Amino acid sequence: MNRPLTTLVWLLAFTALAMLPQVLSVKYYLHLSILALIWVIVAQGQNLIQGFTGYVSIVQAGFMGIGAYGSTLIGIHFGWPIWATIAAAPLITALFALLTGYPSLRVKGHYFAIVTMAFNLIIVIVLVNFRELTRGEAGISNIPKPWDGDRDAYFYLALTLAAAMTLLAALIARSRVGEILRAIRQNEDLVGAIGIAAWKYKLFAFVISAMYAGLAGALYAHFQGFINPEIFGVAQSLDAILAVILGGTGTIAGPVIGAFLVVFLPELLRFADSFRLILYGLILVLATIFMPIGIVGVAKTVLARLHRPGARHDG
Amino acid sequence: MIIRTIAGAVALAISIAAGPGLAAEKKLAVGVADALTGGGAVYGLPQANAVKMAADEINAAGGIKVGADAYKIDVIAYDDKANPTEATNAVRKLIDRDGVKYVLGFCCSGSTSAVASFIAKEKAVMLVGNAAERSITTQKIPNLVRTRPPADYTGQAAGTFIARKGHKRVAVVGALEVGFYSQYVDAVEKELKKAGGEIVAREVFSLRDRDMTPQLTKIRALSPDALLVVGYVEPAAFVYRQSVELGINVPRYGFTSGSEEQFLRVTTSEQMEGVWDLRPTELTLLSASKNGIAYHENYARIFKASPSPSSPYAYDQLYALKAAIEAAGTVDNTEAVAKALRSLPVPPQVVMQYQPVDGKMFDENGQAYTSNGAFQWQKGKWVFVEDLPSDAKAYSLFLGTLK
Repeated sequence: MNRPLTTLVWLLAFTALAMLPQVLSVKYYLHLSILALIWVIVAQGQNLIQGFTGYVSIVQAGFMGIGAYGSTLIGIHFGWPIWATIAAAPLITALFALLTGYPSLRVKGHYFAIVTMAFNLIIVIVLVNFRELTRGEAGISNIPKPWDGDRDAYFYLALTLAAAMTLLAALIARSRVGEILRAIRQNEDLVGAIGIAAWKYKLFAFVISAMYAGLAGALYAHFQGFINPEIFGVAQSLDAILAVILGGTGTIAGPVIGAFLVVFLPELLRFADSFRLILYGLILVLATIFMPIGIVGVAKTVLARLHRPGARHDG
Repeated sequence: MIIRTIAGAVALAISIAAGPGLAAEKKLAVGVADALTGGGAVYGLPQANAVKMAADEINAAGGIKVGADAYKIDVIAYDDKANPTEATNAVRKLIDRDGVKYVLGFCCSGSTSAVASFIAKEKAVMLVGNAAERSITTQKIPNLVRTRPPADYTGQAAGTFIARKGHKRVAVVGALEVGFYSQYVDAVEKELKKAGGEIVAREVFSLRDRDMTPQLTKIRALSPDALLVVGYVEPAAFVYRQSVELGINVPRYGFTSGSEEQFLRVTTSEQMEGVWDLRPTELTLLSASKNGIAYHENYARIFKASPSPSSPYAYDQLYALKAAIEAAGTVDNTEAVAKALRSLPVPPQVVMQYQPVDGKMFDENGQAYTSNGAFQWQKGKWVFVEDLPSDAKAYSLFLGTLK
């Protein structure tokens, strides 16, 4: 698709989403949409390190937890307003990401995935055991919600932030930094050989990715009003990876579609009762096998074939 | 044509004859949010079954009577996997989409706390079952009640019992990362210390752990004179099994609430022999009242499995709700029903042996209390041995002081 058409599609998608509170009579779907928008931010962050840089990080939910707890605890202990705590969350997460990113990024491939997974496990262990601060597994209840918990208003907040974060991801992807990140994904040794300090760019992608997760975590905490360590476990980090793979790795639209899928699909499958998770797993396995390039990748392939000269005569 | 006319005439005649005195039959949707899959399902699935069974019984007896209307109960159950986000989604679906005003179930504390954090703003009533985290009823949520007493209420009684047995050095192994289990152990420790005893080890296992030999080997080296196991049924069963395999020959106490069937999936009756379970006086045939025995029989007949000891917490929820709706005289005004729940005497149909506070099933915090009991595994069965010393009124006052 050319750029004006792509922009038009994005605007239409944004407009359609913005109309949801007026269109949806059942607020449950709005609730899921807010969660999905929060997951858009998580997945866009994951895409920066996984999709563009080629490093599969399994700590995104852990960083989400740092953002969620950071925002909540600052509010409780220092009395900061919600807006300030939400704004502080990505900064706190960035600090942790800097500390963990430097040692993690010294290794590549599977080793990087394992190291980041270990960090996620450590984050959960600390959240569970540092009870004096985090209240452990019992979690923190009654986290203040803006607009007295009004879901319509929160939807627009989540939509605005998800759109802004998606735009930022697109700007990064199109910038020189984005080009270097893609080059690292394709041949990191070559990037080093031409005099570019690859580690700086990898660390940049890792920290920005964590900041996305931290922001999403803060939004989650102030939306749900409750957090405990279970929400930020490795399983949720795998969901972030899945969102990117299902939607389309290394694309901007992919994480958006993937995020909505990982939130809505398990809910839509509730009709299957105890077979729900089996069905969900099966769909994911089949999608990964038959659509390794994700939904956006498949759509691009189909569009390319349709626009190929003589496509109409191909039968 | 003639048949249709006759049928119509008969129907008209019946409706005229019945007049206004015949109750109009209506439907009342009741939601269940519980762990139907995953680790928490050992508690959640029997709870969901128990609610369905209670609904069938109430429906067969004519339903919930409100004025001239009789409401037949329609149970809608969703799986929350004992996960906070899933639980929130499930309850949102029940309230927002299915129009449910009464939500029951809730076996597990994390998922329950997540729902409790927003339920006060909903026109709905939440009845919590097996979830034992204390803070659920310290928040004074007016439309929330819980049938199971908090863990430390039982822990206090258990500590006194263990101390009376003369144990001075108790080793603990359990799911201590879970808030209410650690609250139970803290209460035990407090009572032990009063009697000059101590807890010499606090070893942790997680829900999915199956190999407990590292923790037990460490405990064996400390030579405790008793072992206390707190946690979900399956990992606890592995602890009991492996403690025998490692030759740890000391009295074993637990806080698990598992049925015989659930333990025997993992361990043998010989390995369980002599184990104590110090818990609320939940369902075992020997401790059960008439209602309990009937409950056990019906559950086993319908679901082809023994009920878990804690499952009647959910069964009792529905009978308490029925009594509250009938007392309030409305199904639509959830505030009135929530108020009626807090001034409700213990309904005669309940299975658990509740200790009313000031004559009411639920205290001002929305908390119900059962008696606590010492159960011992004897020849393949949990046998009720004695009541544990418990003071519901005093605990209720203490709970009221917490935030």
